[in-house]
Amino acid sequence: MSSAAPLPVGDVVIEARNLSKVYRDFWGRSKKAALKPLDLEIRRGEIFGLLGPNGSGKTTTLKLLLGLIFPTSGEARVFGHPATDVAKNDRIGYLPEESYLYKFLDAEETLDFYGRLFGIPAEERARRAAALIEMVGLTRDRRRQLREYSKGMTRRIGVAQALINDPELVLLDEPTSGLDPIGTREMKDLIIDLKQRGKTVIMCSHLLADVEDVCDRIAVLHQGELKELGRVEDLLTVTGVTQFRVRGLSSEACEEVRAVLARYGGAEIEVGHPTTTLEDLFLEVVRDTEARPGRRARSPAPSAAPRG
Amino acid sequence: MVLEQEIPRFSAWIGPALLSFLLAASLVALFAAAATWLVQAVASGPLEAGDRVYRGVRTALGDFAGIATGRVWALARLAVQESLRRNVLVALAVFAVVILFAGWFLDPANVDPGRLYLGFILGATNLLVCTVTLLLAVFSLPADIKSKAIQTVATKPVRTGEIVLGRIIGFTLVGTGLLLVMGLVGWAFVVRSVSHTHELLKTSVREVLDGDGNPAGFQGRTSAERGHRHFVSLDAAGGGRAETFRGHRHAITARQDGEGLAFEVGPPQGILEARRPLRGRLVFLDRQGKPAEKGISVGAEWTYRQYIEGGTASAAVWTFEGLSERDFSGGLPLEMTIRVFRTYKGTITEGIHGTLQVRNPSTQLRSEAFPIVAREHTIDEFWIPRTMNTVLADGRTQQADLFTDFVSDGRLEIWLQCLEPAQYYGVAQADFYLRAGDGSFAVNYAKSCLGIWFAMLIVISLGVMFSTFLSTPVALVASLAVLLIGQFREFIARLFASQVTGDSTIAPGGGPIESLYRIVTQTSITLELDPTPAVQVMKLTDTVLLAPMRVAAGLFPSLSALGTSDFVASGFDIPGDLLAAHAAETLAFVAAFCIAGALCLRAREVAS
Repeated sequence: MSSAAPLPVGDVVIEARNLSKVYRDFWGRSKKAALKPLDLEIRRGEIFGLLGPNGSGKTTTLKLLLGLIFPTSGEARVFGHPATDVAKNDRIGYLPEESYLYKFLDAEETLDFYGRLFGIPAEERARRAAALIEMVGLTRDRRRQLREYSKGMTRRIGVAQALINDPELVLLDEPTSGLDPIGTREMKDLIIDLKQRGKTVIMCSHLLADVEDVCDRIAVLHQGELKELGRVEDLLTVTGVTQFRVRGLSSEACEEVRAVLARYGGAEIEVGHPTTTLEDLFLEVVRDTEARPGRRARSPAPSAAPRG
Repeated sequence: MVLEQEIPRFSAWIGPALLSFLLAASLVALFAAAATWLVQAVASGPLEAGDRVYRGVRTALGDFAGIATGRVWALARLAVQESLRRNVLVALAVFAVVILFAGWFLDPANVDPGRLYLGFILGATNLLVCTVTLLLAVFSLPADIKSKAIQTVATKPVRTGEIVLGRIIGFTLVGTGLLLVMGLVGWAFVVRSVSHTHELLKTSVREVLDGDGNPAGFQGRTSAERGHRHFVSLDAAGGGRAETFRGHRHAITARQDGEGLAFEVGPPQGILEARRPLRGRLVFLDRQGKPAEKGISVGAEWTYRQYIEGGTASAAVWTFEGLSERDFSGGLPLEMTIRVFRTYKGTITEGIHGTLQVRNPSTQLRSEAFPIVAREHTIDEFWIPRTMNTVLADGRTQQADLFTDFVSDGRLEIWLQCLEPAQYYGVAQADFYLRAGDGSFAVNYAKSCLGIWFAMLIVISLGVMFSTFLSTPVALVASLAVLLIGQFREFIARLFASQVTGDSTIAPGGGPIESLYRIVTQTSITLELDPTPAVQVMKLTDTVLLAPMRVAAGLFPSLSALGTSDFVASGFDIPGDLLAAHAAETLAFVAAFCIAGALCLRAREVAS
């Protein structure tokens, strides 16, 4: 979770009313109801996650909000403008699912091109492009055509183009797709950083851990229908179960605690040592290897943050 | 050179043309709005459909108002980068191969090498440039939609008009670069290919003496080069020129060497020219010498040329206007192309004899008749002198001055008559002109390249427009279909005029129903149908059917009508009025296709 701070009660950035999308065939016959009527409000400064399995309507929702497709019914408004209004795009950054960019351009040309579309002056464009390329770690590859990039590199330059206009609202479609664990962590850090800079972020993903780690609120979609909507911590809290996490407790003390719990009628579920996450373990190993090249990585410190 | 329609002055042309354009554009816009409303009404009801159409129009207008040059330029640059990285410059290699083949297979000994080389090079350049740019135009946007790169662009503050306009400008820049290179290479190739010279040996020259036995000059023949040689007439000093043959001549200079006079033959003159003609208005006189609407038809279906009968009072009379002594102080350089129709063979190696006369249109004073011999397939030159004889009523002759006695308020008549009975001269208004001056061939060639550029611009905007809502192969076929229909634009206009006026000579054969009737009954198109009630109904139906076709035909661009290579190949300066009209027409089509493309792109979902 990014922060335990209360949700900012800011302006509504995105508003969807009865928004639905039915894909039709050439003859106008209904082919698939990709999104059933959806009501949604997203406020300034939130990290909002659209969660759901493949084909649940996450990307369709995002495309409707961007005006890339037209709703079958209902309406979506972004910054108070209709979703199809081009004017809203001045304040938006969008990272598509697979970084749909021009493969014949290199990284600098790509950012220069998208910067021009925002009417950013040449000097500022060059400054932002250099900073973003450095931020996403592509400085050495900035003159290579994107066709030569790996999937991860393409995602990184995709992120850079989404931020070239310093947007107020960032929409990320599967932002960690194709990234290695380090890239995934960096992406999540970036999303949290964007929030700290006052941006609103909407991301859709089917990777539950990613959503859980960064989002303030989530909407769970399934078969085009909204199933859950709320703050992550509220949705994940298991009521009726109390958890203690204690460091340096002896086995005798554990027995004593158990006895106390039994005296108060508590039914024991689990007592043991917590495990760290595989992501944390991997990052620890990589960091250690980089710090001490040529040596075998140390075991993770016993103090490593446990899962949960 | 065939010039079927008079070239109007741009100032007179632009008013009605603009009106037609606005009318056609309004009709198309209304039709599109009505069709959109109908489709929306089926899905959402008439009121909701009306609201959507209104909002769509309002948003589209707002979008057009918000077009920013910076974004258009960014998209244009992208189109250029895309083209270059798609190896568009391969087209230049193809052009190099075309030039190589032209060098190998075009015959430099051709009767008219200038026309042959210029026609080929300009035609090849036109075809290559238009093909390459059309392919670029129809591939680009569908490829972006397929690769979904358009989604990243469409989520930026980019108007659909900017996407369309940016592409048109980008591909135009690419095409312009290709055209520049091809034009320059083609020009050098043509100039080098037609350039030749001859030798004039002393042994092939004989001295000519005057009546007193004094040396008056030299006569002789040049060596044969490229399948021809020239007769030579030189003055006593050895200077002069080789006579015109196959449309060109050579200047000859003489110098003294140790063994007497040595001759030097210069490069060809007259192959690559840019004549500026002053054309007159043509009327005919019939066999009795009475004014007639037309000349005689000799049965040719193509009615461009009318004929006058030899040995009768039949005459073709051109009236020239705007003649001034300042422009033609030495006399009138007349050039003419006269076709000959023989009803008997005669001496086939000789031309048909006729006369030219000048006449004052106010006083009817006539000059003496100047004999001419009409030769087929060549432009005959005739110099009308400043001073000439006129025959008085009593049979005496008297000298008269061209401008003092024959030109009246800048007007002058020139009469052409055929002398040989049962032989005919075929003439057209544009085939008979005064050579008012010459322009630069290089500039004229550049003007012709500008005509290719106009065609390219239309092809690009058409391809981009179709690519906004069709896949690449379908957009390609649709573009080619529109260009093909455009080739029939003039024909449909003539056909409609023929139906409305009832003058079957404008476009013989009638409209669709009459044509079908003639096919079924195997009736020749030159045969007038009896005006029975059934035929009248048929013709009326054709007129009704042709009316919308006539209106719709104006919406299709005719690339051949924009072509000016015939002017250059025939050695005529391309009139500025024609070029300006072509520029305005191109601009109108590009604007219309650009707007249509932007609206189509806006109306579609760029993601799926």
